Amino acid sequence: MRLYAPATVDQVVDGLLTAPDIADAVVADVRRPARPAEMVPLPAWLDARLRDGLARRGLGGLYSHQAAALEALHEGHDVMVVTPTASGKSLCYHLPVLQAMAQDPAARALYLFPTKALSQDQLVALEQLASAAELDLAAAVYDGDTPAPIRSTIRTAGQVVLTNPDMLHAAILPHHTKWFQLFEQLRYVVVDEAHLYRGVFGSHVANVLRRLFRLCAHYGSHPQLILCSATIGRPGALGETLIGRPVTVIDRSGAPTGPRRVILLNPPVVDARLGIRASTYGLVERIALAFMRAERQTIVFARSRTGVEILLTHLREALREGRGPRERLRGYRGGYLPSERRAIEAGLRDASVLGVISTNALELGLDIGRLDAAVLAGYPGSVAATWQQMGRAGRRQEPSVAVMVASSSPVDQYIASHPAYLLAGSPEEARLDPDNLHILLAHVRAAAFELPFEPGERFGEAPADDLLAFLAEEGHVRRADDGRWYWASENFPASEIPLRTAAADNVVIIDTGGPRPRVIGEVDLFGAPTVVHEGAIYLHESRQYHVDRLDWDERKAYVRPVDVDHFTQAESAVTLKILETFASEEADGATRSHGEVMVSRLATIYKKLRFATLENLGWGRIHLPEMEMHTTAYWLALDPAAVAGWRRDEVDVALVGAGRALQTVGSVLLMSDPHDLGLVTQVRSPHLQRPVIYLYDGVPGGVGLAARLHERHDELLAGARDLVLGCPCEAGCPACTGPRLETGDDGKLLAGRLLTILAPVVRRRAA
Amino acid sequence: MPPDLAQARPTVAGVVADPTLRAQRLERLRALDRRLTVAADLAAPPSPAPRPDPARRAADLARALDGTVIDGRGGPLVVVRERLVLPLDMPALVALPLDLDPSQPLVLLDTETTGLGTAAGTLAFLVGVGWWDGASLEVRQLWLPDHAAEPALLDALEALLPPVACLVTYNGRTFDWPLLVARYRLHRRAPPALGGHLDLLPLARQLWRHRLADARLVSVEAGVAGLQRHEDLPGALVPERYFAYLRGGTMRPLRAIGHHNREDVVTMGRLLQVLARELAASEARRRAHPGDVAALARLLRRRGRRDEAASCFEDALAACERPDAPRAVDAGAMALEHARLLARLGRRAEARGIWQALAHRGGEVALHAWLALAKDREHHLRDPAGALAAACEAERLLARRRAMGFFMRDLELDLPRRLRRLRRRGAERQARAMPSMASSVRSTSSVVL
Repeated sequence: MRLYAPATVDQVVDGLLTAPDIADAVVADVRRPARPAEMVPLPAWLDARLRDGLARRGLGGLYSHQAAALEALHEGHDVMVVTPTASGKSLCYHLPVLQAMAQDPAARALYLFPTKALSQDQLVALEQLASAAELDLAAAVYDGDTPAPIRSTIRTAGQVVLTNPDMLHAAILPHHTKWFQLFEQLRYVVVDEAHLYRGVFGSHVANVLRRLFRLCAHYGSHPQLILCSATIGRPGALGETLIGRPVTVIDRSGAPTGPRRVILLNPPVVDARLGIRASTYGLVERIALAFMRAERQTIVFARSRTGVEILLTHLREALREGRGPRERLRGYRGGYLPSERRAIEAGLRDASVLGVISTNALELGLDIGRLDAAVLAGYPGSVAATWQQMGRAGRRQEPSVAVMVASSSPVDQYIASHPAYLLAGSPEEARLDPDNLHILLAHVRAAAFELPFEPGERFGEAPADDLLAFLAEEGHVRRADDGRWYWASENFPASEIPLRTAAADNVVIIDTGGPRPRVIGEVDLFGAPTVVHEGAIYLHESRQYHVDRLDWDERKAYVRPVDVDHFTQAESAVTLKILETFASEEADGATRSHGEVMVSRLATIYKKLRFATLENLGWGRIHLPEMEMHTTAYWLALDPAAVAGWRRDEVDVALVGAGRALQTVGSVLLMSDPHDLGLVTQVRSPHLQRPVIYLYDGVPGGVGLAARLHERHDELLAGARDLVLGCPCEAGCPACTGPRLETGDDGKLLAGRLLTILAPVVRRRAA
Repeated sequence: MPPDLAQARPTVAGVVADPTLRAQRLERLRALDRRLTVAADLAAPPSPAPRPDPARRAADLARALDGTVIDGRGGPLVVVRERLVLPLDMPALVALPLDLDPSQPLVLLDTETTGLGTAAGTLAFLVGVGWWDGASLEVRQLWLPDHAAEPALLDALEALLPPVACLVTYNGRTFDWPLLVARYRLHRRAPPALGGHLDLLPLARQLWRHRLADARLVSVEAGVAGLQRHEDLPGALVPERYFAYLRGGTMRPLRAIGHHNREDVVTMGRLLQVLARELAASEARRRAHPGDVAALARLLRRRGRRDEAASCFEDALAACERPDAPRAVDAGAMALEHARLLARLGRRAEARGIWQALAHRGGEVALHAWLALAKDREHHLRDPAGALAAACEAERLLARRRAMGFFMRDLELDLPRRLRRLRRRGAERQARAMPSMASSVRSTSSVVL
């Protein structure tokens, strides 16, 4: 057989499965049938110019979800459109916005995108639609790259302003008097990629929207909201939490899809004792290569920028053989020039690009057309993101294939051992808590700067007076003779509130190895003592950096790149105190609760450990202050009877091992990063006098993770039990109960035994 | 807290719905803040100060500032009035290139604010306004005793600004006026219409910056109007003092702010007075600082008023001849500028006279003068030989400067090119006249060098 011979995706897959190691790695192989388009005629009330414009572009009707969104908006509702990648979501907002402008050229609309690239992409789409309809439209991107001379024109004359939440927060809202034409006539606010507004970022964005609506009310406008999201669990709840009012959810896609095959692979175990598996990237390369040799357009998603470059190098090398189309394989990630990126996107659309290796940058709604095959190197962290990435493969008519290759990380292994979670289960919810006290206070400050608060005025659900009184004590806000609360400070609060981190007080990591110092990252203050203490090896994009100096007062860590065979692990004395119990219920073998806690952490020592063998190469002391954080936690207090007859050290390792598994499953269930959930175990809690496992929200004040863990206790415990019992390792590994170092030889056994006691007998979420 | 409350809300723990719980959280946050602060830095525990009666406070403020209370929308306002003699020769001022319309009354305006930006959270708590009534300057200062009275302040300001008024400010185009516009917009009102706006900051930079350390109003006032302020309040302290007053602090420290603001308003009036007195009439200019007069000439030239610019340069040059003229002024360079302008106006003969005079004075000015003569002879007098001779003079002076270690980049590139061209043309012309002599002409010209 020739090396480069066109073949269908099914032929390629079948060929791959003839290799025994690949066949053995398959944990799931399902086929999804094709679905025809559900078309609906254009609504009668649509402006004639828009109808003609659509007709000129060959659109005589709408997909059913587009029509449903238009109708709901026409009736005055706020909508949330939740349909797969490339189902024509953007028409759900472009059309109503253009309709409004066609009827009243004074009308305005504001588009919010999480990234600059998306703003540019949608500006082009909107302008094409407007020119097809022969409508004069003043639309512009307003972001950090917008040149100063045209900014004032956009402020006064821009009918559609495309921007991002950060810009809205720091540049538009505080200067609202210069935007009064926009605020007076604002008809629509579009929030695209709404599923990304979760966690801390989402909690901030919800508050930015509160501020936006507050100003709209001041200027007398009542914009309707159009939210678009990837498929996620309980989209209505996300939409409502984000905008603070009910949304009409439209989640039945009317877009056609061809038949699709979804395959999950788990690389075979090569060292059972340590639970080490074969390389993920090796498998990904073989699969991607087979598709490209068969002339099938392929997208590969890597987990990091470095991953992109490694895969790109290897695959190009492989495509040299027999003079393959190696020039048609491209990389795509942050750090590439915008023009370069546009060229690759266009190349994908016209098929001159055969393959692309990307970070999750191409997961978002950029228009790259539809491809034949998607290969995911590792689980992207959420079911929603997985379907977004897999959705890049899927032609309207022809069959497509999506392959995910699990990595050896705990979360990936959980997914690989529970394929039903991904394939049949519903996607996770996006969690956010706009009423996190720290975030709320920050935005009440910004809001008071923008406009005085009336006495009793609500910000979110409750009147803000108590918060304003608190700010008044700090002297930033003042209650005037008319009873209103006014900003009374020289400070510009919005500039002190970064949206993408919880606290402004982060430690900045500075690489001094290059020709000039360069900021490579940040860590939150609470975590800093264990991550960037002096002598630590800090890992960033799979590169090692040695922390030379930590300037605690300046919040700066100076690092330089090194290449060493060890890593460092800090130990800290963590104490956790329950401040307030919000809810408490009996469960199997334990009492489950959630509430507010104070976590204090004193970093004590760090160890240097050799990579493969975990051999201890030495240690050092850490001299840094104890950190305190108020946050929310979920905890399990064991019934003494459940562990009756266990030795104290057995209980200890069982708690740690079970806790690690709960942490992993918890982060999967809540679509959060595992680092966002902290773990503390106490053999005998001073407060409760019982053995306790705590999972706490890693953000000061919490973003609602604890309350949801409490609600999903049964799934959480069952998942953790299955993770531990189903793991092929002998005595615990990073994928289940954590490194053996933490739990010793019996850790896995004891943790499994404990979780069996704690997990509900009947699984609620049967596969 | 009852457990059902925690589950009352669909998404997260029902914390906000319960005011007592949020109060507890805020209390804990206070405790945490206090522990993070060093004991010594701890402010006194917040005691809810008794809310003062607005009328009483306004009356106290009026007393402290020697003003009066007027009632308005939102609350009482304190107005400080003053009248001082400051005659202004309006016809003279209007003659200057300031885009002033004699039918528009001038209104001086300066604000004191709670910050530097023009974003919505910055407040103008004191607006000083001045206008002429005959030979007197009327000054009004509108003080905000409380945030609540801002509508009254905006009303009062609008009443003081006739719709045709020309505003006079210092940096008001980028700061004071946009800030006030923002305040009107914030209250959902149209800002007052203006007939014009003369911002003195760019003007001061053009006219006086050449002899001042910076263009701050106090520096201009000292250097131009010869006034020295005593105990002027640094602008950076202004917001702090006003906030301290709002929080119930004393009122006396505000007097310094009032004084500072009054001085700023009056100084703008004095600067207009100086402009009208020293720079409008020709005889006055001849007594003024020649550098200022030359700067005015440039301003006239940029506005297209070239004839006036030329006579202004004459005045500047005449001022240079005064025995008391400042030495730092480069009269030669000024004369070159003057000649260049005359040439552009078609007054070539006059320009030529100036160049010839300058050419024999030596120095860098002579170099430029020879160059100008070379161009003039080549392009206007059609005298290539004379042009070559002038260019050679320029080259000689350039070489001398080079020898002393001064390099004039542009000329070093330009002059040799010009010389080459003039020599080639000369040679061609000679050759056309008597072809056999061509080579000897070339050697002759090298002898000239």
